[in-house]
Amino acid sequence: MIRNGVTIDDTFAEAFPMRATRLVITAHTAAWARRAAVSLTGFATSVIGCGCEAGIERELPASETPDGRPGVAVLIFAVSVKELAKQVERRVGQCVLTCPTTAVYAGLPAGEPIALGRGLRFFGDGWQIAKVIDGVRYWRVPVMDGEFVAQETTPAVKAIGGGNLLLLARDTDAALAGAEAAVGAMRAVPNTILPFPGGVVRSGSKVGSKYAQLPASTNDAFCPALAALVAKTELTPEIRCVLEIVIDGITEADVAAAMRAGIEAIVARGAAAGVLRISAGNYGGKLGPFHFHLRRLAEAA
Amino acid sequence: VSEIVLRVKRAPALRVDMRGVLPQRLAALSPPEIERLTVWHGNERLALAELFDLETRDAEGAALRFEGDLGRFDRVGAALAGGRIEVAGSVGDYVGVQMRAGAIRVAGSAGMFAGCEMAGGELTIAGDAGDFAAAALPGSMEGMRGGRLVVAGNAGERLGDRMRRGWIAVHGDAGAFAGARLVAGTIAIGGAVGAHPAFGMRRGTLLLARAQPLLAPTFVATAHDFSAFWQLLARELATLGAPFDALVARTPARWVGDLGVDGQGEVLLAA
Repeated sequence: MIRNGVTIDDTFAEAFPMRATRLVITAHTAAWARRAAVSLTGFATSVIGCGCEAGIERELPASETPDGRPGVAVLIFAVSVKELAKQVERRVGQCVLTCPTTAVYAGLPAGEPIALGRGLRFFGDGWQIAKVIDGVRYWRVPVMDGEFVAQETTPAVKAIGGGNLLLLARDTDAALAGAEAAVGAMRAVPNTILPFPGGVVRSGSKVGSKYAQLPASTNDAFCPALAALVAKTELTPEIRCVLEIVIDGITEADVAAAMRAGIEAIVARGAAAGVLRISAGNYGGKLGPFHFHLRRLAEAA
Repeated sequence: VSEIVLRVKRAPALRVDMRGVLPQRLAALSPPEIERLTVWHGNERLALAELFDLETRDAEGAALRFEGDLGRFDRVGAALAGGRIEVAGSVGDYVGVQMRAGAIRVAGSAGMFAGCEMAGGELTIAGDAGDFAAAALPGSMEGMRGGRLVVAGNAGERLGDRMRRGWIAVHGDAGAFAGARLVAGTIAIGGAVGAHPAFGMRRGTLLLARAQPLLAPTFVATAHDFSAFWQLLARELATLGAPFDALVARTPARWVGDLGVDGQGEVLLAA
């Protein structure tokens, strides 16, 4: 399938079930809410080494937050509810509790509750106060700038991680520009995050390695350096740079919407902009239950 | 499902104890069975048919409506566990006492001990509530433990005495010892309060929208920015309308006490 000169491979992205929660962080100003959210979602690119994948979903105007202050919605994904709870408690404790003027609330209406302020309240050393407002319990913990308000729990829901697009480009400039355009379009899709730096990852991986201790290693079939060397390459000689965009979303439809937005953005720029092909990463379809077929997404676009 | 209407025939000579006359129970009975239910009137048991005219209407869910003067009918909605009760006029003492769920709306005023030890549901009184509303019953350690009491008029003395959890909003005034011995929970009062508000409070919040009472020396002022929490509280109260809808724009003074006991409660003065 060729759209506006861009080849769309007959393949699919393979994604996995995860558990996710949304947190709403508010602060005295949007800038401080943003700082807390950036800190909270730092070092959260991949569950392989970070324990979770997290990102800023969007900024919230004061009119959309529980306490009428500007805020940021973040999504956090982990492989299990237990791991998610651990990551939420650590990250909120170190990055939001510590950040001037912030408060933190649950951002999803229902799900399995995991601790948000429930454990962090003990920082109050006995001076913490619980308050139930409209059936929701909040903790108020005295801190040096006033008090830290945290909802007692946040719901964890089933979610999907590992949706992806591979952008195959004729050079570095074209790959970066295309990836940035796609990320810009995909960031607008609600209920999704792109956990890697700038939304983009250059070290796509395959399962396994020649080294016994490594579970994953470089995706040699998409490495331009290895195109003439490996037994099986996915690249043609005009491809000199490949970038990947990874998507985590609350539902299958959300991930599909983000992938579709990315494909549309690349197609709209056309092959002349330098991204010549769109592909996707999978493991033969045997590992992940969610398959996002690129051509079906492109047809629906 | 039908709404059951009980219309008072004439004011009874003595007080009537209405415990057990609850919408979910009545919904399972036929009209003749309902009429044969008995309640205490003084020291005799009377069939409901002797006190009320019965009527049924189509309605959503289990509903019970009382019409006429219920000033001598006590314990209406006592231990309510679901369904709706409407009282078209005023009602006697102990309305909604120990209710756990469901809703009671009183169009007139309620006597003493309204909503005492209620643990859930919503009790709304369009007129006034007497003394000991949402308080503890004599001999009990805890008053209201959950749910919501809204009084559009005034409340008597000892409002929310020993309250443990839940919400109380009084649009008008409250008598002496409002929120006394409060263990936890939230009480908002729109008008004036009598002497000794929050006396002996351990935790919880007493919010005074207009009153500026002299607090006991066992309360101390705190000076810190608690605007995030204040907005959560004020926005929820704003749904009740005046005078609470003006709170969002205000910054209250905060006093903490009662240091004579636990001293973790707060009095918010929003005037």
